[in-house]
Amino acid sequence: MTIRIAVVDDHPMIRAGLGAVIALESDMQLVGEAANGQLAIELFRETHPDVMLMDINMPVMDGVDAIRAIMSEATDDSSVVAPRIIVLTVYAGDDDIHRALDAGAAGYLLKDMVGGQVIDAVRAAARGEQVIPTVVAAQLAEFGARVSLTARELEVLTMIARGLRNREIANEIGRTEETVKMHVKSILAKLGVVDRTEAVAVALERGIIHTS
Amino acid sequence: MSISVLITDDHPVVRAGIRALLTNEPDMDVVGEASDGAEGVAMQQEFDPDVVLMDLRMPGMGGIAAIREIRAAHPDRRIVVLTTYDGDADIHRALDAGACGYLLKDTLGREVVNAVRNAAGGRKVIPSPVAGRLAEYTPRVDLTPRELEVLAYAAKGLRNKDIARVIGRTEETVKVHLKHIMSKLDAADRTEAVTIALQRGIIHIDD
Repeated sequence: MTIRIAVVDDHPMIRAGLGAVIALESDMQLVGEAANGQLAIELFRETHPDVMLMDINMPVMDGVDAIRAIMSEATDDSSVVAPRIIVLTVYAGDDDIHRALDAGAAGYLLKDMVGGQVIDAVRAAARGEQVIPTVVAAQLAEFGARVSLTARELEVLTMIARGLRNREIANEIGRTEETVKMHVKSILAKLGVVDRTEAVAVALERGIIHTS
Repeated sequence: MSISVLITDDHPVVRAGIRALLTNEPDMDVVGEASDGAEGVAMQQEFDPDVVLMDLRMPGMGGIAAIREIRAAHPDRRIVVLTTYDGDADIHRALDAGACGYLLKDTLGREVVNAVRNAAGGRKVIPSPVAGRLAEYTPRVDLTPRELEVLAYAAKGLRNKDIARVIGRTEETVKVHLKHIMSKLDAADRTEAVTIALQRGIIHIDD
């Protein structure tokens, strides 16, 4: 049985590379490519691939949102078999991994994996296995419990990272400066840090927020 | 005469992609693949390629150090950067180091092929998104090595006291450095300084 694969990545070089690696395997077939999450959903509807290789950071719609949408569409429609989606990303933060797996990803690979590992992962995922390589599992283990910020806290943290002061954040979200201070205090406590700069550093490292 | 190309990138999948792309061109020949800067330096010495495609962020020796080293030995070597780093500081650093071109990884295959051909022909390769990025941030920010060091520690979340200890200076000195950093970056506080520096590629969190 041929494994039908779709590749989703905004970098043409990566798509070309995955295409070249897949072309060498006699039991695999590349059925389509997409450059962002929105196009990935359309590609899924058109081709119903067995396995999707999915980047996270993409314009228009990111990979995690696309995974969620595709998995929910497949669950709602009993005539559709849900694809096995493997994330392939440079994002190594534990929060990135948690978000992808929660959204329904069957595996999580980092982009420094060699072609052979990607191929093995595709085969394992197609067999129904979870694909979590040691480096990814170690990243999850290192940080322990997942930090769960509220949507508002995440919003405030993103603004802190942009360099906004409490007064400006208060203005943007339409709350008082006191409320913002309370959010900041809660964010610092949840991240286990003492000040805003450290909060941003830890949040970037763990993939809770990103610079781009 | 075909154009010989050396690919330097730590991601095997990216190397496979570039190879697949260039191999399609009758006038191009991929002579080697290096997975970090040091390997890139050694392999260009061995293969004497017309064009070196160079990633910036790689384990061990990064792209900038490799470009400097290559150009010191071969001032005419044509090196085109192919990276996800789109900060103006990254671009300046690469061109200063001696790169003749700068491409972002979302560049289409066709454009990469053209860039290699232009670089081999002795032309500069600065596509409009890259030029636009440079234009957006003028003048260029010049931090001293010490300021860069302090800024990198601030980005890691170290407090002034900790930074002072790590660099072996007083907390007062660190405060002065930070004051200069914020003034040069036009930032109101250290968090904003770190944010601007990350955005402009002056520092990177994975360094």
